[in-house]
Amino acid sequence: MIEVSTDWYLTLAAILFSIGFLGMMIRKNALIMFMCIELMLNSVNLTFIAASRHFGTIEGQISVFFVLVVASAEVVVGLAIIVSIFKKQSSASVDLLRTIRG
Amino acid sequence: MELLLLVVVFLPLLTAIGIKIISKFLNELLLNFITINSALLSFATASGMFVLLFINKYEPINLKFFTWITNPEILFEFTLDGLSGVMMLLVTGLSVVIQVFSTSYMSKDEHYAKYFVYFNVFVFSMLLLVMSGNFLVMFFGWELVGLSSYLLISFWSKKQTAAKAGNKAFILNRIGDFGFLIGLMLTLNTFGTFNYDKVFSKVLEGNIDNLTVIVICFIIGAFGKSAQFPLFSWLPDAMEGPTPASALIHAATMVTAGVFMLVRISPILQFSETGKLIVIVTGLLTALIAAFSAINQDDIKKVLAYSTISQLGFMFIAIGSGAYVAAIFHLVTHAFFKALLFLGAGAVIHEMHHEQNIHKMGNLKSKMPITATTMGIGTLAISGIPPLAGFWSKDEILASTFANGGFYYIFWALSLLAAFMTAFYMGRHWLLIFHKDSGNDISDIHEAPKAMVRPLLILGVFSVFIGFINTPFFHGLEKVLHETLHYVEITHLPEGITLIVLAFVSIGAGFTGLVLAYLVYVVEIFSYFKFKIPFKDEILALSANTLYLNKVGDIIFVKGMKSLTRKTAVLIDGLMIDGLVNKISTLFYSSSQKISTSQNGLIRSYVVYFGFFMLLLIGLFIATPLVVN
Repeated sequence: MIEVSTDWYLTLAAILFSIGFLGMMIRKNALIMFMCIELMLNSVNLTFIAASRHFGTIEGQISVFFVLVVASAEVVVGLAIIVSIFKKQSSASVDLLRTIRG
Repeated sequence: MELLLLVVVFLPLLTAIGIKIISKFLNELLLNFITINSALLSFATASGMFVLLFINKYEPINLKFFTWITNPEILFEFTLDGLSGVMMLLVTGLSVVIQVFSTSYMSKDEHYAKYFVYFNVFVFSMLLLVMSGNFLVMFFGWELVGLSSYLLISFWSKKQTAAKAGNKAFILNRIGDFGFLIGLMLTLNTFGTFNYDKVFSKVLEGNIDNLTVIVICFIIGAFGKSAQFPLFSWLPDAMEGPTPASALIHAATMVTAGVFMLVRISPILQFSETGKLIVIVTGLLTALIAAFSAINQDDIKKVLAYSTISQLGFMFIAIGSGAYVAAIFHLVTHAFFKALLFLGAGAVIHEMHHEQNIHKMGNLKSKMPITATTMGIGTLAISGIPPLAGFWSKDEILASTFANGGFYYIFWALSLLAAFMTAFYMGRHWLLIFHKDSGNDISDIHEAPKAMVRPLLILGVFSVFIGFINTPFFHGLEKVLHETLHYVEITHLPEGITLIVLAFVSIGAGFTGLVLAYLVYVVEIFSYFKFKIPFKDEILALSANTLYLNKVGDIIFVKGMKSLTRKTAVLIDGLMIDGLVNKISTLFYSSSQKISTSQNGLIRSYVVYFGFFMLLLIGLFIATPLVVN
């Protein structure tokens, strides 16, 4: 019987984070990128909880609640921005938003 | 009683300020009334003070006006002794005569009031200079005369030449003033005071180390103000100013300030053989160069300007040979006959409708008899024909130089040459203007108005008789100056037969010069001979251009300075400083151009950078061993 140790959770979190980060790097649709961010945030949450369980403390779990609150607030603002971008250029591609290039 | 000195000095200043304030409400007549009466009052007070001085046996009258600086104590003080008394009478007296002349000469000028304001400011400055009781007050007046001279030279400042001439005079004077200023600092450093008497008594007490340096500094100051070689070229240019102003400032008084100053410091000067030698050599050089240059000038006033420089050279010769009384004597006589000549020239210019070329005149004596006669007197006086004023003073200078013996015989001979040239060019001047018929149309020329003729007559009378104040038979001026110069060693005239022979030699030089001028310019003796003077044209060109000294100065100082500054601008400023700054800025610019391409606006690439640096950070964390407390 394989025992599911903390390392497994951490590895999963690292994989999830890498997928999210990779998505940020290669996708240009704002919505997809947004989802990738959510993915990364949740991988971090997973890390927190795993660590909390491993050490038997509660601070990690509290942090997760904070992250969740911030993430939901971010979704509210971020979706509004994405909608207005979509209205402006009838596409959610962020590559068209290059006005600040040097 | 001493307070009357303040009246003499400050009345012209008050007049200037008064005229300036109410000039809008004054017509010419009222303005004349104010300024001439003020000048007369100043002159009358000065005469009264001089009589008082005479009664007191020329014991100096000192007036401590107020304490100017407390530590070291420097007073604003005046002193009236024989020397300043003579100068005071000269300045106030000539001021009256020349202002009368000016009322006619400057009449209808659009800046009539301004002229008299400047004029009175000048008289005030000159009086401040001569009646100062210490070096600092003298410097005060010294600078103020420079300023008023500048203002009067560039009086018609709309004329480019006049404005430039004013600048030139001011700048060249600055070189002299620089020397004076250094002299002042050294004086304060060495003696701890500026007061004449205290300084002189300390000099007499014992050896002062840097005496020669102090003396040379003051001599440089005198050279600048009195237009001595090589600082003389401003004076001929200064003739751009109104002629009466030239008569007072650039002939009679201001330019003699250097002579006055050297006589004032004669108690110091007498101990410096080097200083005296510098003075006499420069004086001689100036007298010769200026006299030579005067021979071929065409401008009626420029001849007189060079003549003034040359006569100032004579005064410096007198100082250099230790004949301080003779220097002041020549200063006084020269003031009268040169003022006369200038005013005469002014009358001629006025009647010729501002034509100044002497070749365009000729035979004016038939139209302007009084001007011609008075200017003739002036010419004879400056040439040293007895018994006119110039003879006595110039002969005294020549005889004193001779009396020193040794290599001063050479100086004497050269001075005699300068005296001969003086007679020659002054003879030419008078003959070309008044005598020789040059075929020019002079039918509409008249005698000058009364306000011009009367000053000429007054000065003419003085030019005849002023010489008698100090003859070998009557040492009037020597007695006046005795108290001032009583601890100064004065060269005395040779005795008996030597003096008479010397007098005849100098009369001979003057007479020969005049006759030669008549032969050359009226009889035109050279046209009768086949003989041609070698290099005649070259010599004449040399004379007309003052030995090309202006050009040499232009090449060395002006052009040299210009090319130096241009090189500095190109090399140091342009290449080094600008180059360095520009290099740094282009470096930043080009590197930022390159770096800014990384800011391409694509969010993906920012994420890549972010990931890259985060990996770097993580790597660092892993690589760094944990520090455990």
